Amino acid sequence: MSMLRRTFLGVTAGLSLAGCGYRSVDATYSQPDGEVPKQYAGRTRVVFWSPYGGVNGKAVDKLVAKFNDSQQDVYVEVQFQGSYDDVAQKVAAALVAKQAPDLAVLSDVTWERFFLNDALEPLNGYFTDGFGPGVYQEKLFGEYVVKGQSWAVPFARSTPIMYYNRDAFAKAGLPDRAPRTWSELRSWVPSLAKVQSGGRSLRTIAFAKIDGDWQFQGNVWQFGGAYSKGLDITIDQAGAVAAGEWQRSMVHDLGAAYMASSPSTDFANGLVAVIQESTGGMKTISSKAKFKVGAGFIPSEVASGLATGGGGIGMLRNISDERKQAAATFLQFLALPENSAWWTTQTGYLPVVNKAREDAELKKLIAEQPNYGVAIAQLENARQQDAIRLYGRNANVQIYTGLQQIYADNAQPKKVFASVGRRLEAIGDEVKRLYEEKVL
Amino acid sequence: MTVVDLPARTHPDERTIADGNDQRKRRRRREYGLFALLVAPNLLVIAVFAYWPIIYNAFLSLTDWNMIAARPTFVGLANYGRTLTDPAFHKTLWITVVFTGLIVVGSLVIGLALAFLFNLPLKGRGAVRTIAFAPHILSGAAVATIWAFIFDPGYGLMRALIEPFGAEPPDWMNNSDWALPGLVIVYLWKNVGFAALIYLAGLQGLPKELDEAAAIDGASTWTRFRSIKLPLLAPITFFLLITTVIGTFQAFDVIAVMTGGGPGDATTTLSWSIYNEGFQAFNAGRAATLSIIMFVILLLVTTVQARVMERRVHYR
Repeated sequence: MSMLRRTFLGVTAGLSLAGCGYRSVDATYSQPDGEVPKQYAGRTRVVFWSPYGGVNGKAVDKLVAKFNDSQQDVYVEVQFQGSYDDVAQKVAAALVAKQAPDLAVLSDVTWERFFLNDALEPLNGYFTDGFGPGVYQEKLFGEYVVKGQSWAVPFARSTPIMYYNRDAFAKAGLPDRAPRTWSELRSWVPSLAKVQSGGRSLRTIAFAKIDGDWQFQGNVWQFGGAYSKGLDITIDQAGAVAAGEWQRSMVHDLGAAYMASSPSTDFANGLVAVIQESTGGMKTISSKAKFKVGAGFIPSEVASGLATGGGGIGMLRNISDERKQAAATFLQFLALPENSAWWTTQTGYLPVVNKAREDAELKKLIAEQPNYGVAIAQLENARQQDAIRLYGRNANVQIYTGLQQIYADNAQPKKVFASVGRRLEAIGDEVKRLYEEKVL
Repeated sequence: MTVVDLPARTHPDERTIADGNDQRKRRRRREYGLFALLVAPNLLVIAVFAYWPIIYNAFLSLTDWNMIAARPTFVGLANYGRTLTDPAFHKTLWITVVFTGLIVVGSLVIGLALAFLFNLPLKGRGAVRTIAFAPHILSGAAVATIWAFIFDPGYGLMRALIEPFGAEPPDWMNNSDWALPGLVIVYLWKNVGFAALIYLAGLQGLPKELDEAAAIDGASTWTRFRSIKLPLLAPITFFLLITTVIGTFQAFDVIAVMTGGGPGDATTTLSWSIYNEGFQAFNAGRAATLSIIMFVILLLVTTVQARVMERRVHYR
């Protein structure tokens, strides 16, 4: 074995010399390429990796343009990188290649792995009066605080809300509001099925094929369960199984629900009456739908509670001090109430800065379109997700793969979650040491 | 090499011969130098972009590394033990074999049939050939997006085609029984044109005398196909077999866009599971292990195919 180990060390050293491989925690890495427009030449360039495309991407671009025109020292370049998962993959790949963007939007389930492995810059040292604790909404800010140190700041934070088709509800003779409980929604199935849409009877709810485990996190709580307590897996227990069973029955016993590649697209096209979707999809859905869109709280059942989600911005550790300082000025800019409020009006994401709620534009929007106020009002029921989904790498994929089996194959939730639970335990074991050392 | 430097114990008369030898050796050495110089650029590129990643990958497969941690941890063969005994891996392997088998057989059979069709002196065959070949050069992601639309149960083309007959189309990509056949259809659509084109080239290169002689002797069309054309096309079949097996084993783009390995694990092939382990779970070690397993499988398949075909393929 020692021979083997010595060979291994030799190979490791060789590979490191060959330029392959591993991150040195305190090294300064180069920046991804890009171009600085002439009018911003001579400034410190900050590369910002974003997962927002479409309507939300345009809003990011405008926000950044506003920043670039607001001062003389820093130029922020947004680089769109795909989904939240794509951004995480690319940051990891960049670090291996000894490159680092300065700022990256990391999702509710990806920032933790960068934090655990010392890839993020602690932010407390950059806080000012207008940027830091007290400025941000407490709950959302606190999710990135571990042992008193901030590792990212909230940006495009969200909760799921229930979108409903007001026109269809009216045709079905239902009240103009979201259902209060899942049982109530189930009792509405026959009325909704009488409504015709695209040559078919309207289906009640669509479940997401990919990433549906985020919404399901809340559903599990609403049925009295949890994915895990700490890293101890509880997805195979009664509450989670009941939530899965409710959904299975809606799909396979009633034919009132189905798995959709994009529930929000189906909803906007009038194929389905309600969906649980991020509040960050508000602007997109409202602009696509040709009917009156309603929004309400996610229903409860035996309990209430829903999961926060969305993206925060982390600063990479392997960048120069100059770049860090420059990146911090952009974060400070985003923490200004008017910018936070503007972002909310353009997307539907939660205003992450407390004072943004007093912004005149946002207030006006909410008065005119109350849908934009739903997530804000619902926030007090929201909480951070169970540790296994946050810290267990690939836990989210394991859970939504299990959900797919329930939706697609009529698999029994008890059986599915027993097997998902075993996988989650293995995943939890992998991260346990770091979790106990750095988080607890 | 040292032989050259040994003190000469030769008869004086032999010296000229030895001198000649030396010269030849020197010349040969110079030729080797030139040879090395000429192949070096290619060799370097192959070494850097083909061999080096394989070696590095083999090394990674012995480690546990999440790609962000500063250093991988050496775990010996643990990844292999864990993978080879994992029932999920067995299922993945089975799905990969079924998927590959269907596509290889489908591509070759349909490709050959199309090639015969294209070889007939029919009007407009040039255009049809182009159309049949076109999907092959389209990007996989674009093909997948188009087919995702065709298969979509809500607004897809399939629905428009099937519903008038009173039947409900399957929810192709969201149903475990239909997702894999759906993917096979897409890959066949994409691949068949290539197989047809290669077969067509083969058909057109066949010697006409044999076929004519057989026809004069009264052999039926089927006999001529089975006993003359098919054996003569064996090198083409062999080439297509190897390239299609390798290509299908590595198929990724369409799966990524259309199913993401799902629903459940219904379309999780070996190449998708490598992606999932590596870039969703950030388990570089286990992803590398799966890659090495795939490498070994393909190496074995190709070797066996080559051995079998060596005996049976008629190269002219």
